[in-house]
Amino acid sequence: MEMFLDFFSNTGFALADYRNLIMLGIGMLFIYLGIAKDYEPLLLVPIGFGILLGNIPVFKGLGLSIYESNSVLHYLYYGVTQGIYPPLIFMGIGAMTDFSTLLARPVLMLLGAAAQTGIFLTFLGALALGFAPNEAASIGIIGGADGPTAIFLTAKLAKELIGPIAVAAYSYMALVPVIQPPIMRLLTTRKERLIRMEEPRQVSKREKLIFPIIAVLLCCYTAPAALPLLGLLFLGNLLKEAVVTERLAQAARTSVIDTVTILLGMTVGASTQANVFLTSKSIGIFVLGALSFCIATAAGLLFAKIMNLFLKQKINPLLGAAGVSAVPDSARVVQMVGRAEDDTNFLLMHAMAPNVSGVIGSAVGAGILWSFIVG
Amino acid sequence: MTGIEAILHHNGFGMAAVGVTIVFTALVTLSLIISQLHKLLLVWEERETYINKARRMFSLLGPKEVRRAKNGEKQAKAKYIASIKESSRQFNILIQAMGEPFSLPELIRIAESLGIESPYAAVAHLIEGDLIIPDQKGFYLWNHEAYNSLSKRS
Repeated sequence: MEMFLDFFSNTGFALADYRNLIMLGIGMLFIYLGIAKDYEPLLLVPIGFGILLGNIPVFKGLGLSIYESNSVLHYLYYGVTQGIYPPLIFMGIGAMTDFSTLLARPVLMLLGAAAQTGIFLTFLGALALGFAPNEAASIGIIGGADGPTAIFLTAKLAKELIGPIAVAAYSYMALVPVIQPPIMRLLTTRKERLIRMEEPRQVSKREKLIFPIIAVLLCCYTAPAALPLLGLLFLGNLLKEAVVTERLAQAARTSVIDTVTILLGMTVGASTQANVFLTSKSIGIFVLGALSFCIATAAGLLFAKIMNLFLKQKINPLLGAAGVSAVPDSARVVQMVGRAEDDTNFLLMHAMAPNVSGVIGSAVGAGILWSFIVG
Repeated sequence: MTGIEAILHHNGFGMAAVGVTIVFTALVTLSLIISQLHKLLLVWEERETYINKARRMFSLLGPKEVRRAKNGEKQAKAKYIASIKESSRQFNILIQAMGEPFSLPELIRIAESLGIESPYAAVAHLIEGDLIIPDQKGFYLWNHEAYNSLSKRS
């Protein structure tokens, strides 16, 4: 009997407290949203399952917890804490992305830059709330709406916040269809939402080939700290456009990104152990993250309206909302809101331009914050 | 420390302003470059034409190069005339056998069946040289006058 009681005292049932139950609820909610609601299922399902794994209480010393140096999960988590997974995901994104619309209408790139204002305003907000500069920078980057970038910067600046920041970033990315439309409707008139975009010009193969080389050199010479993310993003894109490296591009956009996404999602989820995750800081991070995301969306929309004051051929200001780099979800939301006004107005293709420039912009923003804080 | 005091203490306003400026600078520069990229590529693809134009404009061609270029032009012209002469001789016979007016697809079909080399290009050259002219009713005629004057050219 004593042996049985001894064994029972070491089971999860005996070790768990109410906070673990809250986290299990959150994990299950993520899995539900991913599977039943189809909100970013590729991310929310592994993260949700990881949350379940991370909140199974284990006793220390067996090498089971993600925070124990000899555990399997800890080794897998190494790719997160050292910032290895995010650049690999960027390589896959690069190998999937077609920059044609951006090359055809480069002016739309400014919308991607404008949306990054959210990062820096939230950075200020976080400083004002008493967060240290490294933490404030990691929180601000949530406004970039780019999970890998947020994880990368947090891994470099505030490792202890990776869990809440990653969960916040991916949650808001998944909630793009819920968060963005009200802001878009609030800041634009019906007339503006009905604006049709002119057909983009045909982009040559040679342009698409040269672009990743020019872009990586220019962006990384400007913000060298963006090199790990943008270097691999544009490598992936060059592999895609070169055609002769199709095999490598195929690997980058399928097996590499899928493997890394599973590992990253699961370990980030597992890092949200109740005692680490359920803190007042996490609540602050979630509130500021939501604010950051809203500011980024609004900044993109307002900048598009300002651009229209100077442009002969007006652009649909809804495209500004795609400046946050949740690819391709925010572009899809632009299409959805545009079509709600006019069923024959197709904005998706045009929205991809600010969307991919948002990816570049948020990586540059992350690089700048990293160099400011560390330098 | 919280509020404005915290921001000022950590030089937050400076970092945010410089950060936004750098992001904008990078993306504006990139957008400027890529907006001109297709024009630069077009210039690169047409470089021979532009180089020749520039050379002519600034008279940079030396006497030797001018002679070489002129010889090249002459040789190409002679080659073209010889080829058009040969085609016109072959097609003259063919059209006489077919009768006038004739349809171009029929002419090309017969020329192909007789094994005449590159009949499409040859017919295109003959139309360019006004040896084959439209009769304004959808068919074509053989320009005997132009053919005779071409035959007389050395």
